[in-house]
Parts: sequence; C-alpha cells; structure tokens
Amino acid sequence: MSEKSDTILLKKSSRSWLRYLFANWERTQLVISFALIALVGLISAFTKSPYVLGILVLATLYAFVGITWNIVAGFAGQLLIAHVIFLGIGAYTTIVLNNRFGITPWLGIPAAGVVAGLLGLVVAFITLRYGLKADYFALFTIALLVTLKTIFLKWKFVGSALGLWLQLGNASWKNMIFSTKEPYLYIAMGLLALGVIVQYLIYRSKTGKYMLAIREDESAAAALGVNTSLYKTLAVVIGAVMAGIAGGFYVMYVAFVEPPQVFDLGFNVEIVMASPIIGGLGSLAGPLLGAFLNKPLAELIRGMLSAETSGTSLIIYGSFLVLAILFLPRGIAGALQDLYNKIFPHSADDLPGGD
Amino acid sequence: MICREGIDVTLLNVQGITKAFGGLVAVHDFSLSMDPGQIVALIGPNGAGKTTAFNVISGFYRANSGTVSFNDQNITHLRPDQICKLGLTRTFQVVRPFRGISVLDNVMIGAYSRTNDARVARSKALETLEFLGMLPEAGRLASGLPIAGRKRLEIARALATEPQLLLLDETMAGLRPAETDEVIGMVRKIRERGTGILLVEHVMRVVMSLAERIIVLHHGEKLAEGTPDAIVQNPQVIDAYLGEAHVEG
Repeated sequence: MSEKSDTILLKKSSRSWLRYLFANWERTQLVISFALIALVGLISAFTKSPYVLGILVLATLYAFVGITWNIVAGFAGQLLIAHVIFLGIGAYTTIVLNNRFGITPWLGIPAAGVVAGLLGLVVAFITLRYGLKADYFALFTIALLVTLKTIFLKWKFVGSALGLWLQLGNASWKNMIFSTKEPYLYIAMGLLALGVIVQYLIYRSKTGKYMLAIREDESAAAALGVNTSLYKTLAVVIGAVMAGIAGGFYVMYVAFVEPPQVFDLGFNVEIVMASPIIGGLGSLAGPLLGAFLNKPLAELIRGMLSAETSGTSLIIYGSFLVLAILFLPRGIAGALQDLYNKIFPHSADDLPGGD
Repeated sequence: MICREGIDVTLLNVQGITKAFGGLVAVHDFSLSMDPGQIVALIGPNGAGKTTAFNVISGFYRANSGTVSFNDQNITHLRPDQICKLGLTRTFQVVRPFRGISVLDNVMIGAYSRTNDARVARSKALETLEFLGMLPEAGRLASGLPIAGRKRLEIARALATEPQLLLLDETMAGLRPAETDEVIGMVRKIRERGTGILLVEHVMRVVMSLAERIIVLHHGEKLAEGTPDAIVQNPQVIDAYLGEAHVEG
C-alpha cells in the first residue's frame, strides 16, 4: 500500500514539475530555447567535423543576433531594417582594438557593445528628433547603412576597402583564438543562453510590456503613461548593444572584416531578419527556431549546389522568408503556440506573468 | 489629491483654449471647469470639436492659445504620458486595444504607470478587472474580444492608471442598449470611487442618466452649459443639436 501511495506521490510530483515548466507559453518557450541550446551541445559532443561544428557556431550566433533584433522589431515594433550596422560597428571596434592597440577581445567585445550602443543612441535621437516613424524610420536606417559602408570603404585607419585581417596571437582562451571550433561554439552557446535570459527578463518586465504597448498602439500607450520616446530609445539601444557584442564575437570567429561584408542588406537579411521572421517575430523562441532551421538547411543546399554559384544562400533565405510570410505569418513559434494551447487549455492560474 | 481635500479645488480648469488646423478653427475660446468627482458631459453635433477639445486637454494636441490646468497645475505643455502620471487619462473614440497581447497584459500596462513591480501591477490589474467584472476574460487575447468587450477593456486599462479624472470619448457608440446599460453601471461605479468623469457622448439617454452638468459645443464654441434639465429645454440647444439627435434615434 505504501508502495502504491509512493508511486502516486511520485506521479504527482513529476506532474507538478511538468506543470511548472509548461505553466504558460512564455516559460514553455524558455524550455524550448534551452532544449535547442542543449541539442547543439549534444551534437557537438558526437562530432569532430569542423564543417558541422562551423555550421553550429554560425547558427548559434544567428540565433543570438535574431534575439537582438527581435527586441527592437518584435517587441517594440520599430522597423530597424538595417540592424546589421550595429553588428558591423561592433566587429570593427573589436578588431581595431585587437590589431591596433593589442587589446584582448575579452575587453574588445564589451567595448563593441558600448560603441554600438552609442550608435543606437544616435539613431534613436535623430529619428525621434525629426519624427521619423515606421517606413521612414526603416529608410533612415538603410541610408545609415549605405553611409557607414562608404565611410569605412574610404577610411584608411580601419583598412578601407581592403578590410582588416585579425592579427592572430597564440591560440589561447586569453586571446580568444582557438585551433579547433569547439571553444568558439561554447562561447556562442554561452552568449545565446545569456541572450535568451535577457530577452525573457525584458519580456516579463515593465520595460517589455511598455515596448509591446508601443508596438501595438503608440497613442494608446502614451495615454496610459508610457513615455514612448524613452522606451523606443531603450529598445534600440538594448538591441544595438547586444548586436555590437555579437559583431565582436563574429569578427573573432571569421577573423576578417570588410565593409561590403558587414554593411550589406543581403547579409542583414541572412543574419538579422531571417531567423526571427521565420521563427516568429515577437515570440521568445522564434529567433532560435528560425536560426537552427535556416542555417543548416541553407548550408545543406549550398553544399548541393555548385560552389561557383555565389549568392545561392540568399535565394534560399529569400524563398524561406516568402514561404514563411505566406504560410506561417506568426512563424514556427506561432504554430507551436497553437499546438500548446490545444494541449494545455487555458485556466485562470496559468495566466502569463504569474509565478 | 488627498492633501487638498476639503478646500475648494478645481480638478480641471480649461481657460479659453483655441485649436486650429490651418484655416479650420476646430475649437475656439473654449473654457470648462470641473470639481473632483463630478460627471460632466460634452455634447454637440459631429464636427463640433469635442474630440479636439479632448485631445488638447489630454496632451495629444497643443493648443494655439489658452491654458489647461489640472489640480491647479498648468498642464498645457505636458505630454500625454506626463499628464497621465498626474492623474488624468482618456479613452479613445475608436478603441485602441493592444491587440496582440492578453487582456491582463493590456490592463497591466495601465497599472505600470504607478509601479515598477510586476507583482504589484499584476494584482492591481486583476483587481481592476474584477471591479469591472472582466476577470473571466483576463487570459484572452485583446483581439479576440467583441466590440463591447474592447470598450470595457479601454475603460479598465485607463482605470488601472488610478486617474482622478477620466475622459471617456464616445464609449457607448456602437453598443446595444443592454451593453450600454452595463457600461453606464460601470461609469457609476467608477464615479463612486471618487473619480471625476468628463464624457463625450452622442447617446442622450446616457448623458441624461449620468451627467450632473452638460456643456454643448457647436462649431467649436460653447453654445450652452447647465444641468441636464436646463439643457434639454434650451431652445438654442434643441435647434442646433437635440432635434437632430432625436431624428437619429
């Protein structure tokens, strides 16, 4: 009899444990996100192939970059189309600090975040000062991308059109230079885990709710006490800082940067926009779902097509985007949410935001 | 608000505001004053400038001249969010729910104007929803609410900012009679809490049953002001507006 009650207890406790993890859709997405990161770790434990590991590094980084844009465009609804400028500025900051001043990337990457954040502040200030909203805001950021590309093409100190090769020190954790891909993957996974947590905390906080309010209706938000200028600025700066950090890591990984590579709308679609849009813009798990689907699939197809046709990956991303927008307007996460709602019908205590 | 209790305080004092769009003067030299906890109705034909007056008072439009003060503080040049923080908020004629998020989140956004703490905002929002009998809908997406639900949500959200003065812009428009009665009950309950209400309304039944004082706007200017009984007997008002309203139904 005691055995029987024990099993019941066990069943009950395991059920409450599940209940806790899947109590609401937000927390469920957190579970999905960490499961995906764990899956990456698992795959890396079973393969030594630099090709596979390389794809995983980039997919993980793309997921992180997707989160940075998701906060600006998905939460706050700001059409920061050329978000890749922050990544580019971050990449240049880190590599210039490393090459010209011998500063370790462990400081260079945070510095990239700061510089990108300052650029974000400038973008927010100018667009708010001149009332550029929605499509005008989008056009302004694209104009800024073209401007930055031109400046960096002419600027000798940052290598002008030739770009910069990372000056390699000894392979070590101190220099963030490694002879194998695993350490890069671990750093990318750490970055992504951090991004997932930051995004979740923002989403749950007052700041996050205010961003959603601005996205849904700016006037209504203002009437309810939301300082819309302040929170738009906050969204852009948070996204910029995180993208700058991503850029710093990116340049350490690919060891090279040139203006047409980072200040490019095609690259922007690939690294910034594709993952959140396909995964579900504004959702929490979307950037990860999108990145871990897109990147491996695009690489697979790139491998199958002949190597001499450059730009095929862009066709792939373009097609994915069109298909996603047509058939999954709320992305993969949206479809999963519908499934979730079917499995766990709403009850009053499962309201989002509860503990 | 409480510190000034008992003394003669004007909750809202609008002095001679004028708002023009190019050559079109939407509101001309309009004045209005309200005491705490009063219900005042602003009526008038379409295009009389009621909503423009609302937009000026709540900070969405900047008046060309005139001043607006709230609790004796000049708010003429403040932004809507600053005005909301002082205790004056409004709803919109065309409802503007935050569609993609839950009803509870909608109301929490209002509650956050008084706190940074998610728990406090959440319990305040739940309390507000319960007060208005909307608790069963808390978990629904705002986009899934029928029109009456959206109107109630608009009020709930505004109420969660703990206003001393609530501006209701045609809250009853488009509602069925039973739904209208429900919202009238809501407004009465809100007033019982000591919140002043300024409402723009076309449904005369609502105006007559709620308002202590009525102000009639016509072509952007004040045509008449007085008790409901005095207003319905005012020949000028009947001529300019009420006759028309009776035809409308």
